Amino acid sequence: MRAAIIGVGQSRYTRRPESGQSAHTFIRDAVVAALRDAEIDARDIDGMAVASFSLAPDTAVDLAWKLGLSLKWLLQDTNGGSSAMNMLGHALRGIETGAASVVLVTAGDATGLAGYGKIAASYNIATRDHLAPLGHGGPNGVYALVTARQMKKYGLEKADYGRMAIAQRAWAAGNPNAVYRAPLTMEEYLGAPLVADPLNRYDCVPVVAGAQAIILAHPDRCPRGRAPVRVRAIRHSFNYDHQAGDGLQTGISTFADELWREAGVRPGDIDLACIYDDYPAMVLAQLNDLGLIPDGDLKRFAQREIGERRFPVNTHGGMMSAGQPGGPAGGLNHISEAVLQLQHRAGARQVPNARLAVATGYGMTMYRYGGTAAAAVLERME
Amino acid sequence: MTRGFTVWRCMGCGAVLFPERLLCPRCHGAAFAPERVEEGVVEETSTIRHMIGQADWKPRVIANVRTKDGLHITVGLRDDSGPGTVIDLYEEAGAPFGVAKGSPPPTESPPAEPPP
Ligand SMILES: [Zn+2]
Repeated sequence: MRAAIIGVGQSRYTRRPESGQSAHTFIRDAVVAALRDAEIDARDIDGMAVASFSLAPDTAVDLAWKLGLSLKWLLQDTNGGSSAMNMLGHALRGIETGAASVVLVTAGDATGLAGYGKIAASYNIATRDHLAPLGHGGPNGVYALVTARQMKKYGLEKADYGRMAIAQRAWAAGNPNAVYRAPLTMEEYLGAPLVADPLNRYDCVPVVAGAQAIILAHPDRCPRGRAPVRVRAIRHSFNYDHQAGDGLQTGISTFADELWREAGVRPGDIDLACIYDDYPAMVLAQLNDLGLIPDGDLKRFAQREIGERRFPVNTHGGMMSAGQPGGPAGGLNHISEAVLQLQHRAGARQVPNARLAVATGYGMTMYRYGGTAAAAVLERME
Repeated sequence: MTRGFTVWRCMGCGAVLFPERLLCPRCHGAAFAPERVEEGVVEETSTIRHMIGQADWKPRVIANVRTKDGLHITVGLRDDSGPGTVIDLYEEAGAPFGVAKGSPPPTESPPAEPPP
């Protein structure tokens, strides 16, 4: 075992970036925070992976240049909500094979709302040509239809998703970096304006500007007195069903058994889950695919396990409450939260004695739902 | 708007596809014939009430629609057809629109989008 996550860093998140702030400056802030957290000198970084929708026309090497990093391993990832997981997998293998020894994985975006609208309307050719002319509302419209299907198939009601939103908001109260921390009531949730029926304002991730970074290296390089976090297993799926299904199963369904087998643990052993939450329906779909809802009763799981916080899901508030600084950085925040929890550094939201976590990524809404997904089982090294 | 909507039938295995592919996901053949599909059944709908970056947005309805071949496409509805309704399909610039079967064809142009 030669690779572990030894440090994490986050920029400030803001709903409206100010003049002079860009994806680059948020990424810089996250990188500085991660280097300080990992007690690593920038000169020791010899590998970098980055994902961002708003770095263009710069690419990864331009970012390396602007960060003053000379590298022997470099990657730019394009998988949106599963970019962070993808970069994590590549970084681990990069270190394990000796291609790099200290790898920085970062992501960040500062599109602003108008920029986000443009990205959403021409996300890919299918979206630009076949969805945007309908006035489909970007991903909100796509996942409105998926959510309607999930409600029909599993007998879910709006209040079930409400319990998830309220629980994540309650977790966010313990995260000083979350953009929304005030308690949310069921009255507020059910009374919120509809965005794309059945989705209301609290079902749709708040777009923010911000960035995340993590540092991977040999576990011996972890700062003294802190447990490194290793990845017991990681799996990915791309274009699992050619968009021909109902979207209620994600690509995670293709590898979940293999993931648990490789990790050598069972879903019931997991202490917390960091599930990519672009929409509450997709949190339930991924948990179900992972086998964390053993009887397949999504409604009960949403109400009791998540709603009553019996099982910790998205303890940083998820993107729903912490904010979505683009899919790539949003996904990286899920990994970072798993690391903080496993290192017992999660403050007021700490899950007692957390030892094992599962984190996921889900992304790239190609036409009817997301075509990429990934998951990792992370473990505290004693 | 023109009547019907173009989908693609794989000449190798007969799979019906939309959007158009480079190779068939089933047999990996590269030859496709365009085919007009004239109707479908609404499965789910959503009213899009808000569009990021657009202040004077007027609500529009989209639907997940199943064709007779079992293909699912996302359609802009131009009336209040709900789940289970059979709709006539129309096409404008590669995008599918629909109204309840037998209704007069939609005439309105698709909504303007923010520039890409
Ligand atoms: Zn074929």
